[in-house]
Amino acid sequence: MKNKSEILVNNIVVLRAENKWTQKYVAEQLGVTRQTVHSLEANKYNPSLILAFKISKLFGKEINEIFTYYE
Amino acid sequence: MKSWISFLLPDDEYKEKRVLYFFAEGGILLLFTLVGLLILNNYFHLDAETALLMAIAVFLIYVTGRYTLSGIEYTDIATVGAYSKELRHIMFKTSSFAGIFILLYLVFIGVPSSQNEWIDIIGILVVFSLFWFLTNYISLKRSYKKNKELL
Repeated sequence: MKNKSEILVNNIVVLRAENKWTQKYVAEQLGVTRQTVHSLEANKYNPSLILAFKISKLFGKEINEIFTYYE
Repeated sequence: MKSWISFLLPDDEYKEKRVLYFFAEGGILLLFTLVGLLILNNYFHLDAETALLMAIAVFLIYVTGRYTLSGIEYTDIATVGAYSKELRHIMFKTSSFAGIFILLYLVFIGVPSSQNEWIDIIGILVVFSLFWFLTNYISLKRSYKKNKELL
């Protein structure tokens, strides 16, 4: 059963703004839809490990610099 | 994850996860419907065909309805121009569907011989085309609204 108190937050929106990239651009680079990028930015969706690595590679950051896990 | 259901799922992982939830929810509802029908069968005589059709309808209506209303089908439609273009495409698809339907009917069933048969076939055609168009239209409208909010 999923623990509701577990939260994974990310700073994709900040990193995207720093790079002056649009959601569309990020979506194209990651091979996902813009809705997915928006859901990630709004912390409404936890990405798969593969997508998390793609995000990490795109922004040139370590995964734990982008994602933070809270219990 | 490898599963035979993959061919029914979108490539985008967020959409894939949502569609999987819709299927799972539909499956649970289907189970409840079947249990409900089984209990009802002890009190009322249920025609097997009707009961089976009801169960199938519950699953299909739920999954299609959730997908249509979720606004995740047309992920790239965010401008008026793209919306109008897609709407025209939906109208074309509906017309093609109606054309193919009537053609297949004429080829496999034959030309209706009486006025009543014509009314029947046109009635079915109108209902199915309208259903097809409305599902796509609502899905487009919801997707457009959602995508506009993301801009």
